Amino acid sequence: MNDLRTTFVLARLFARRQGGDRLAAALPLVSFTLVTALLLLVLGGSQVFFRMDGDIAGTYQALAVLALALLVVPLFTLGAAAARLSARRRDERLSSLRLLGATTGTVSLLTVLEAAAVALAGALAGTALYAATAPLVGLLRFAGQPVGSQMWLAWYWLPLVWAAVALAAALSAAVGLRKVVLTPLGVRTRQQPGTARGRRAVVALVVVLAGVAAMAGLGTLGQLGGFLAILVAVAMAFGGGLLALDAVGPWYVRVRARRLHRKATTVPRLLAARTILEDPKAAWRQVAGVSVTTFVGVVAGAGLALVNAAGGEMTGEEAWLFEDIRTGVFVTLVASFLMVACTVAINQAATTIDRGRVLVSLDRLGVPRTVLAEASRRSVMSVLATVVVGSAVVSAVLVLPILGAAILVQPVAVAVVALVFVAGFALVRAGASVAARLVPGILARPERVL
Amino acid sequence: MTPILTARGLTVQYPGSATPALDAVDIDVLPGESVAIMGASGSGKTTLLHTLAGILRPTAGTVTLAAASGPVAVHALDDAGRARLRREELGFVFQQGLLLDELTALENVAVARMLAGVPRHQAEGEAAQWLAHLGLQGMEHRRLGQLSGGQAQRVAIARAQVTGARLIFADEPTGALDSTTGAEVLDLLLAAVAQGRTLVVVTHDPGVAARADRVVTLRDGRVVADERRAARAGGSGGGEAVHRVATVRGGQVEHTTVAAPYDEARR
Repeated sequence: MNDLRTTFVLARLFARRQGGDRLAAALPLVSFTLVTALLLLVLGGSQVFFRMDGDIAGTYQALAVLALALLVVPLFTLGAAAARLSARRRDERLSSLRLLGATTGTVSLLTVLEAAAVALAGALAGTALYAATAPLVGLLRFAGQPVGSQMWLAWYWLPLVWAAVALAAALSAAVGLRKVVLTPLGVRTRQQPGTARGRRAVVALVVVLAGVAAMAGLGTLGQLGGFLAILVAVAMAFGGGLLALDAVGPWYVRVRARRLHRKATTVPRLLAARTILEDPKAAWRQVAGVSVTTFVGVVAGAGLALVNAAGGEMTGEEAWLFEDIRTGVFVTLVASFLMVACTVAINQAATTIDRGRVLVSLDRLGVPRTVLAEASRRSVMSVLATVVVGSAVVSAVLVLPILGAAILVQPVAVAVVALVFVAGFALVRAGASVAARLVPGILARPERVL
Repeated sequence: MTPILTARGLTVQYPGSATPALDAVDIDVLPGESVAIMGASGSGKTTLLHTLAGILRPTAGTVTLAAASGPVAVHALDDAGRARLRREELGFVFQQGLLLDELTALENVAVARMLAGVPRHQAEGEAAQWLAHLGLQGMEHRRLGQLSGGQAQRVAIARAQVTGARLIFADEPTGALDSTTGAEVLDLLLAAVAQGRTLVVVTHDPGVAARADRVVTLRDGRVVADERRAARAGGSGGGEAVHRVATVRGGQVEHTTVAAPYDEARR
């Protein structure tokens, strides 16, 4: 009982102390706001399809599930970034508490309480953001009419989402805390650079080649095992392709970063390459969501372009469905890039605040601020470029005949998909630039980080 | 002799503070001397160092640096101008945190030259020479996290000198080190002075101050003592500053006299 009272007293003290460190405290809050708003928008969007009826509803629902599955990766990454950030902010103070003799129970409870409270506050703010943006998303047209008010979720969804966000934050904090509890003296021991094994690349290559073979032999498969066999082959080829991407991603990022490091002629390039090499896995994870989207963007974009060229005479529901699949692909692409942009903004902002001491030091040495900003931006954008190009190449190899035909028959449609990628890049770049805006504030008050 | 650094009426008033952190300080730093700034915590030591080095802008007063290109009014420069001055004319060795953990020792030093527009290959060549000179042969490609505190300070000393800076500012350079390692780091800083550089060092450590040419003591933002070595030694020794000059072989510091090959090559 006494222990519990101590915990609450400490929790209140911590909450008050954060007032002096508003920037760092605001970041997890903003992160959970974004996570919640995007989660509600995605849920609301998919609900539109599950409320449909009629012959074609089943097809829409299947496609909605597919889109949801594609958005799960970037949304999860974003949520994890927010949770990690909120746990990291607390690590140092908790370590001091441990050294002062606070019990493991007190420290754990305090962590979970604080993480859940911040996440809940963010979830509430995120709900407001959802309410503000849902009408805009409602302007999209599906099945020949605007989505409109169908974007609104039933009220009982809200507490469910709030509880889920708070719970996820609390769990993540508890898991992240185990290290602090175990080693009160060593919160921030720098780990060895993450390893990314080349052996995985070989396995991935075999999987991709098998996929290519399966795709090439589709006709034969169809004759032997019918439509189901084709479906299974396609699913395995793409599933295998995605798994291969994830296995090979960190390794590929590291190989590219090594090359960037070798060829770096300027300080920002050198710093960016070293930042990536420090943890290629984390660099990959940050933008991995885009790899899946790129994959689908290329395949669906090419497929749609071809169908468009082949079936110019579609009418009624068929035409709608076709139009809507295209809209759906674009929405999924945009949502995915938006989530990655938010993840990057959160991660980079957290890194910038964590490195406040280094930034102040470099500033004292006279390193121009533009160099620091460029290095941080480059460390994200070069990985993003690596990921998008890598994923595009793998998916292009898988659907080479379709893609080739699409480029020949429907260059405009392919160009539109390419344009969406360019816009997505710009969005992530904007996310990466958020961190640079924090730098002047940190440098103006060096005593806060030293 | 013309001072390399001249400050007049230097006053710094932090917002929200009743008393000034620095109160009308006058100081001249002569080329080739080592100046220790001492005083209790809160006496204004670090504020003085930051203002002299153009990190902080004084509320009132002037700081003039005799740069290679001519006198520069440091107090009148804007943020970018002072950053450029720090980058090109000054060297820094602080207690910790001035180096990047993810870079290697070599890269940390080379970056200082690359920022001045020197091609990477050449910058790394110069950096390797300095690291070897300071006893870090074979450790060029270790990341900062893999070096000890004393080794990291040697990297910082290499970085402070690689640009050819004639004036080095050090803030508690031995503060985080054990006494033996601290003495070695101080040896290396004084070796730089013996090679013609000027050193301004803020320190709590009487051992560091004892080996400086001159000790300036601050109290409540004012200079309360400014003694040269000869005066402190009771007038004996004819005012000659006697340096212990260090070279490093195989990681061991030896006290000898060394020439100044790098300065001559650069200038």
